[in-house]
Amino acid sequence: LSSLPLQILFYINGIYYIFYFLVTLAMIVYKSQVFGYPDDFLACDLALLFIMAILEVLRLYLGSKGNLTEEEAPLGLSLAVTLGSVVLSVYFLVWQTYVLKADVILNSVLLCAYGFESVLKVTAIAAFVS
Amino acid sequence: PPETRAAAWARPRSGPAPVTDVAKLCVCDLLVAQCDVNCCCDPDCSAADFSLFTTCSVPIVTGDSRLCSQKAATYSLDVEANPPERIFKLTDQVNPSVFCIHATNYKQALSFRPPEMPTSENFDLFLKRFGSAAFSAKPDSWNMNTDAQNPSDANETYRYEYGVPIQTADAFLRLPSPVVSSWCSDANPAGFLVNQATKCTRSVSVEKCSNIQAVSMLFYINSSILAVPKSSQMVNITVQSIVVQSLNGMRTLLNGSDVLRPPVTLDELCINIVLGVSYHITYTDAGEIIEAAASFVLGAITKEALSIQQSFDISFTQVNTTPVPLSGNPGYVVGLPLRAGFQPQGYPFPTEILFAALNTNKYSQLTILQSTSNQDCLAAQGARTPILFGYNMISGCQLRITAAMKCQPLTQTLLDLLKGQSFPEYVASFGNSQAQNVLDWVPIIHLRTSEQSDNERMYNPFQSACQIPISLEIEVKWTKYGSLVNPQARIVNVTATITTTTLKQLPPGRERTIPVTSSVVFTDISSPAEPGYKAWPTINIKLPFDFFFPFV
Repeated sequence: LSSLPLQILFYINGIYYIFYFLVTLAMIVYKSQVFGYPDDFLACDLALLFIMAILEVLRLYLGSKGNLTEEEAPLGLSLAVTLGSVVLSVYFLVWQTYVLKADVILNSVLLCAYGFESVLKVTAIAAFVS
Repeated sequence: PPETRAAAWARPRSGPAPVTDVAKLCVCDLLVAQCDVNCCCDPDCSAADFSLFTTCSVPIVTGDSRLCSQKAATYSLDVEANPPERIFKLTDQVNPSVFCIHATNYKQALSFRPPEMPTSENFDLFLKRFGSAAFSAKPDSWNMNTDAQNPSDANETYRYEYGVPIQTADAFLRLPSPVVSSWCSDANPAGFLVNQATKCTRSVSVEKCSNIQAVSMLFYINSSILAVPKSSQMVNITVQSIVVQSLNGMRTLLNGSDVLRPPVTLDELCINIVLGVSYHITYTDAGEIIEAAASFVLGAITKEALSIQQSFDISFTQVNTTPVPLSGNPGYVVGLPLRAGFQPQGYPFPTEILFAALNTNKYSQLTILQSTSNQDCLAAQGARTPILFGYNMISGCQLRITAAMKCQPLTQTLLDLLKGQSFPEYVASFGNSQAQNVLDWVPIIHLRTSEQSDNERMYNPFQSACQIPISLEIEVKWTKYGSLVNPQARIVNVTATITTTTLKQLPPGRERTIPVTSSVVFTDISSPAEPGYKAWPTINIKLPFDFFFPFV
């Protein structure tokens, strides 16, 4: 049986991520205007943000498909991609050029969501395998 | 040893390390090892010094306020305690904004860039970049621009433009002028169409007067002017006139002034010293110089003279035109002469109406009698002074009447004296009125009044009294015209009032002296201006006629 909490979490994560992406992009633009932002740092941050967006789309698609079709392979792949997303989120939380308080809040919420999803994915995989 | 010294020179010396601890940072601590007044953070001040302070000039020292939390050192004076003491608190300041900087991973983010220190390797580079009077952030781009401009100029025809120095065969046309002090400097070029007049001092001596170049005529007409810049067409400077000034200041115009007169020593004087040069340049409207003439004032110096004052001026005239100096544009400017003129015969027939001889000829200006030192009206040489706008003037002379003088010739002489040879009929209402616009010219109204009261006239109604004019009063009424912030003066009315008095027959041998006066008064008749405000815009909304169709 598909895990309903996992599916709800995927849906909320999707909406939250759109919000996160737009806000982080706007804040990078704000930082580049207000603070001194050398070009290579700016390029690095923007590139990583777009990579994170692509990974997130992939992750949510695979996870949702695996949960609904009750297959463990896509769910496992989604779990692996979640690892990459976690690393990127930690980058935006700690290793970004300028970390504002808003960044800290957004990324912490995202990491919590990732944590819950990972737990639920593991239980779902365990349920599907057996 | 020289090797270590060279090595030390080559190593870049860095500036002092930046202080980032707020408790130790004090910007008002300027005196070393001494207490600065009202500087509460100064470590050199003792408690006794703090008790004498009135206020703290630096109340708080913080780090960058954009950080989420930073240290702040606050200094304040507790004036209620006896004696007053300084309070120092180290607190944490929190920035409540959600966009405060939590952390940065970019080291130079919030501090100034340390400047590059010059060493023996990069010194030449710095000198090239920053050694001139001005430098830009991107020095290389300047060089590229000037290289690109030069090839494109090759096909352009050159011409003089306003302000461009007038070129001669070797350098520029010089107009010596005082620089910093009043001594002449020969490096001032004359600019095209820039009318300049300068006065400066030159040091001379009688012994070496023929050796000093700058007092000889040749120096000023030696070089020939290029007709257009960068061309080979030359215009020679001709000598237009020479005026010789004697030692007591009297000037005489020389006839036959084509000869060059070099300075010569004569007895104990040196004559033919250049005291003034006046250049007149004629140009075409294509920016080409076609004629250049110079008028000289030559003088003489004695053995005691150590310096002379030279005056230079340059003026430009367009070819085939006669310049008409304006007295304002459009309103009259205070201090400029009134423009006046005559109406030629044939008005009001619709031929071209041109007022004759406007101000180019000195004798058709509006003038009044100029007082002379001997105050005798009949001996006056006819000296007249032009009427300047805004300047009220009064002048006069004394008239000695003897018994032998007849009425009619005396009246005519006095009238000529008061009004001048050619008293104009019209005065321009604006400073730049054109001769063709008849309505821009104000006719002069003539009035006659008699000095005697009515009672006296009634006593002698039948005696043919001789009335002689003794006073001319010109009243010019002007108004402010135009905008409130930049009002222009416009003449509205000019009235010339001649006051006459009865000349009583004198017994033979007796003399009488009566004063004759002429005056000019300018009266401002402008009504007080009221600023006009625009009406508030109204919103004009109307519903369409059939808006409430089914019901109305």
